[in-house]
Amino acid sequence: MRARPPAANAARAGPALTFDVVKRLGGFELRCSAEFGGGITAVFGPSGSGKTTLLNCVAGLTKPDDGEIAILGATVYSASRRVNLPPERRRIGYVFQDSALFPHMSVMDNIRYGHRLTPESERALSVEDAVEMLHLTGLLDRGTEGLSGGERQRVALARALAASPRLLLLDEPLSSLDLAFRGMVLRHLRQAHSELGVPMVYVSHSMSEVMAIADDALALSDGASVIQGPPRAALVDPRMSGLADYATLENLLDAEVARKLPDGGQAELRVGSARLFALNVEAEPGERVTIAIRSSDILVALDVPTRISAQNVLTGTVEDVHVQGRRVILYVDAGARMIAEITPDALRALGLSAGDQVHLVIKSASIMALDPGAR
Amino acid sequence: MDLSLIELTLRVALLATAINIPAAVFVGWLVARKRVRGSLLIEVAVSLPLAVPPVVVGFTLLLLLGREGPVGAAVHRAVGADIVFTWASAALASAVVSFPLVARAVMAAMAEVDDRLEMSARTLGAGPLRVLFTVTVPLAYRGILAGALLGFVRALSEFGATITVAGNIPGKTQTLPLAIYSSVQVRDDATAIRLAVASIVLAVATLVVHNWLLARTRKAR
Repeated sequence: MRARPPAANAARAGPALTFDVVKRLGGFELRCSAEFGGGITAVFGPSGSGKTTLLNCVAGLTKPDDGEIAILGATVYSASRRVNLPPERRRIGYVFQDSALFPHMSVMDNIRYGHRLTPESERALSVEDAVEMLHLTGLLDRGTEGLSGGERQRVALARALAASPRLLLLDEPLSSLDLAFRGMVLRHLRQAHSELGVPMVYVSHSMSEVMAIADDALALSDGASVIQGPPRAALVDPRMSGLADYATLENLLDAEVARKLPDGGQAELRVGSARLFALNVEAEPGERVTIAIRSSDILVALDVPTRISAQNVLTGTVEDVHVQGRRVILYVDAGARMIAEITPDALRALGLSAGDQVHLVIKSASIMALDPGAR
Repeated sequence: MDLSLIELTLRVALLATAINIPAAVFVGWLVARKRVRGSLLIEVAVSLPLAVPPVVVGFTLLLLLGREGPVGAAVHRAVGADIVFTWASAALASAVVSFPLVARAVMAAMAEVDDRLEMSARTLGAGPLRVLFTVTVPLAYRGILAGALLGFVRALSEFGATITVAGNIPGKTQTLPLAIYSSVQVRDDATAIRLAVASIVLAVATLVVHNWLLARTRKAR
């Protein structure tokens, strides 16, 4: 349906982003080097750890004091070779926390802004496709003031994508949104990544978001990289304590409404190959929603529980068991990949290890649909 | 006689304003771009004409623009005409004296524009000048207009610098304030009062528009 952008193919050939930067700001110093692949890489860490400074250096909005930065193998900054491409020549997309939509332009003019400035030969996505992909058709003639937070972030994403960036930088794009809009924007991000293949750097506080969206994660603390690796491994790394907010770890899962039950709010959802019953789903059959299930709301049983009130019992295989202090995190493949949290006592009592078959018990009331209606 | 006097006064103030708007936008852009370094110097330089007596401004211009001055001599060689003692020199004098008012208002309005909008535009492929004209100026335009009107009202009342560099030639360089001065000199109180009322009316009208613009800017925020 849509042409694959040349940038996406190039992304697979080598690293999407390599950097080795030093930037001093007042008493703070960012000193960090890493290599990001063509997938979605999460950058997380407490506020003041240098996440935004790093993004700004990559975007060309802040000039590093020293180092090198290359996007898809092309140098955009090099202290030794005295290269410092201005942001407009780096072909990166940047989605800010608060959208930063142009208030004096309509939604359509916002989306067109970067597209117009992209040379025709480098356009990978038409304005129409960007609009369609982010479900913005009904909003085009509107100004930006009346938009909801979720709509603003979708417009910001469409605006960035319509300029056919070689790399998309996202600075906490969900943090200013209501819970209900988070799932929607997350789903659109995943979709944009799978359809366009644009490598993304996703800055976030939330471990749940990182687990849901990222292939790779980099943790920053005090301007230095602490850990880089798959989110699952990063999550349980002892050096992680205090770096990310995961007091309440949620499963953020992509689901499709299979059917609505006649008695009202209840719906049957397809999540991977699993089926789940949830309450209060406004979306109609065939539509997609993102659901959130707290990892601590999932009960783990070794035998098939019978005669229980919970609506959902999923059978799956334990992929991994991570113990971190008083927390035990189980990764279970039950048709959908789920994270369940149990106590060390429960782990001892059940004697769980990787490869064991378990049954996950989930109350339908524990499944929250993160969508404010149809889209 | 009164009408042509008002017409000349308006013409001088309008030209002064037309010179000041782009100059102020340019300075505002420079200060915003360069951030810390050098901006203190620019801000002092911008406000200087407000701080020195207007007659000093006029005298400086006279030295620069006079036939022996560097600018005046060049212009005389090029077009064979003088700048000093023309209505254009009156406009130039008014422009310099009113520039601090325009520049300060324009700089404030441009600084109010959220820099993330400008940064967004840069990442979307717009160079600094395009960002200036498609994002910064459209978002700051009410403040820019308010500043321009403030400068305009100051230019209407300019006296000291104007009389020094443009003289007080009726029908040529004599603006309202200069005509009032002449009337007072010859004890023609009736004319002086009539012209004073005219200049008050002009000033009030401009200030009303100025305040209306400012109120709309605040409401829009």
